[in-house]
Amino acid sequence: MDMPLLCAGFAALSVALYVLLDGFDLGVGALLLLQPHERSRDHMVDSITPTWDGNETWLIMTGVTLLAAFPIAYGILMPALYIPIIVMLLALGLRGVSFEFRAQMKRYRRRWDVIFAIGSIAAACMQGLILGALLKGISVERSSFSGSVFDCFRPFSLLCALCVLEGYVVLGGCWLEYKTSALLHGFSIRALRIALPLFLLTFGFVVETSFSVQPGILAVWKAHPLLLGTVSCIVLIAALILFGSIGKRPDVRPLAASMVMIAAGIAGLAIIVFPMVVPFRLSIWSASSPRLSQIFVGAQYDTNHVYVSPFNVDAFVASFLGTFGGKSTKQVIATVTPTPSKTTSQLLQTPVGTVSLFGFLTPIPAPFGAWTSITKVAEEAR
Amino acid sequence: MNLNPATLARVQFAFTVSFHIIFPTMSIGLAMFLAVIEGLWLKTRNGLYLEIYRFWLSIFAMGFGVGVVTGIVLSFEFGLGFAKFAQLAGPVIGPMIALEVLTSFFLEAGFLGIMLFGMHRVGPKLHFFATCMVALGTLLSASWILSANSWMQTPDGVAVRNGRLIVVNWWHVLNNPSWLVRLPHMLSAAYLTASFLVAGVGAWYLLCGKHLAFAKKSVALGTAFASVLIAGQVFIGDILYDTMLKHQPSKMQAAEGFWEKESASPAPYYWVILPDQKEQRNRFALGIPYLGSIWLTHSLHGRVEGLKNTPRDAQPIMGMVFYGFRIMYGIAILMFAAATSSLWLRWKRRLFTTKWFLRFLVAMTPSGIIATLGGWYVAETGRQPWVIFGLLRTIDASSPVPAKTLLATLVAFVCIYAFFMAAFLFFVAHIIRRGPALALPQAEASGSLKNAFRPHVLDSANANAVVGR
Repeated sequence: MDMPLLCAGFAALSVALYVLLDGFDLGVGALLLLQPHERSRDHMVDSITPTWDGNETWLIMTGVTLLAAFPIAYGILMPALYIPIIVMLLALGLRGVSFEFRAQMKRYRRRWDVIFAIGSIAAACMQGLILGALLKGISVERSSFSGSVFDCFRPFSLLCALCVLEGYVVLGGCWLEYKTSALLHGFSIRALRIALPLFLLTFGFVVETSFSVQPGILAVWKAHPLLLGTVSCIVLIAALILFGSIGKRPDVRPLAASMVMIAAGIAGLAIIVFPMVVPFRLSIWSASSPRLSQIFVGAQYDTNHVYVSPFNVDAFVASFLGTFGGKSTKQVIATVTPTPSKTTSQLLQTPVGTVSLFGFLTPIPAPFGAWTSITKVAEEAR
Repeated sequence: MNLNPATLARVQFAFTVSFHIIFPTMSIGLAMFLAVIEGLWLKTRNGLYLEIYRFWLSIFAMGFGVGVVTGIVLSFEFGLGFAKFAQLAGPVIGPMIALEVLTSFFLEAGFLGIMLFGMHRVGPKLHFFATCMVALGTLLSASWILSANSWMQTPDGVAVRNGRLIVVNWWHVLNNPSWLVRLPHMLSAAYLTASFLVAGVGAWYLLCGKHLAFAKKSVALGTAFASVLIAGQVFIGDILYDTMLKHQPSKMQAAEGFWEKESASPAPYYWVILPDQKEQRNRFALGIPYLGSIWLTHSLHGRVEGLKNTPRDAQPIMGMVFYGFRIMYGIAILMFAAATSSLWLRWKRRLFTTKWFLRFLVAMTPSGIIATLGGWYVAETGRQPWVIFGLLRTIDASSPVPAKTLLATLVAFVCIYAFFMAAFLFFVAHIIRRGPALALPQAEASGSLKNAFRPHVLDSANANAVVGR
């Protein structure tokens, strides 16, 4: 089984669950700023009290999965996204303690609510900045981050920040509509009617600009027009259903529609980014941790990949093992790329190290194998 | 201090992790204390136990919440400040932390809600079970983290291939040479912390002449637990000392404050030193004669090994290790004194009336936390200059983040954490001032509640009532 793929799937699932679950949480927090009545604010906070902490566990799970399964990527991404991540963590912390203290210190409740809202907004914006920076691309040199920590503050990232904040407010509005009635119900409907069109507008703008910001995205659109087209349609249909169902019974429909809309958006992102873990830079196979740790969370290919013509595979094995000693694993025919392809695959385990040997029987789909070259391997070997 | 990124990353990690460990230490200790108290209540049906339970539940919940938000920071900080460490050690400690999340976080997530809100909903027996599960969750969490940290102290079960770490034997990674000694040491430290918190608050009420029944029970329980625990801790500490002497001699050499390869005979036991790392000597040293030989070599004239036995480029900074150790050890002696006095006073039936002893207990309220911090400073600064002992130097582990950015975020951390601490202390002071009688039947601290058992917060009848007002 392809363990890096499995781990990547788990990481993607954690991110998706985090966005969907903590998204409405943060959205409700942001809406606190617009709600003038203290009792209503109490009810808004009460509606997310039981779930927020569990929701944030998915954020930890994401970070830890990256650390365990893709340590190389983790070590590149954390310094690259240093500022937004730290600000996000501090904002989440402030928000977390406001939950407690707004209940304890009645006199200062208004102030704690402001802190709560600002913390929520800041956390959402920082997550948007992170997304923008990832899509724009991160400077990597020899498995380290090589750019500046301020690289993530670009106009495109700021646009993404706005988009994520609006998306969360939509989720939060739907949550409130589902969970409350009377005054607060009306408040959430008004908020949704404004936030949803704004979100769709910004979202469209983000998609449009992303083509010029990152050519890789356009390439993926060209490679899978049908798949991405379908996903876009799902987003749009869900948005239409959502818009039509605001303020109507059953209350749960807008929430369900907004969840589908955001989930489809995340799926689209996943299609664009896959199989990279540092987008357009590092694939999940080259970023994963050495093989044995996968007994716990998944197996790996901590190896340089070598591609030879399928007719020369056996000769290459004989010569390689003749030079360095060791043995080869059993040769299998496999599909190792996201698109249809066929290749022979085996590991050459020698006393000086292990390489994965591929002999593609079909053309090698780009960008698989594009991130390394024989000169770089030779350089590293020296 | 020079402002290089490696130093700043270390200061930042030290600050955030020191702040964080205060809260888990309390949570681990209080969770077990609450489980014991609820068990006693179920057995005796004495309402006083329930009162104690409710009083500490709120403080436990609040501490747990602060522990969660400061803990999230740490799971990212491995990469934020020490990217090279994460890339090298991620495959080894990553799975351990992942398993911590999967085992203990989910256990806690399932049962904390019942523990905090469910007394009237699930009945006492199931509620007791929930409390035990939360205590077990904190214990599991401590086990995984101690295992990961112990692996950094005494790495085992891995091999270096192509500049990357490969796990050869997972059992050796988990059960590395120091884990099974350091884990009970930390657990009893946490339980001691809770014991002195409980005894201290009880003593305070006795001195004020308030809530006497509650106060007497608290002092009696707290000192009883402390007496048993400190006796065990002395033995565990001694075993740990020998373990570390074997695996990390440089740490213990620094902890005792001697520089020369062999100290004079008989060796004194230093309490105050002014070490000069550059000259490799103490500018000033004050100690008790003979005691060093007696304690450290178990003979009257034994010689103690000094830090010069370790090559200079592998030496930790003596001052930090020494004072961390003295703070922990000094407090342990005070705890021992408190425990023995409590036994004597209990026998004489003057436990609740001896003013000096009660004042001493009040002063000892935060002693467990301070001693635990001291102990962690010995463990972490004593491991330097290594981040993974013998495998990776801290200086080679840091991230490519500029010093100014690190400084700015460090200042932000200090400000916001100071704010957290002030708010937490304000809250605890408020709870203590209000007293146990007024503690509500349910925990009021509402954060960090993964309570899946609460119904819709607002049904329409309620909402209309609210609107009607």
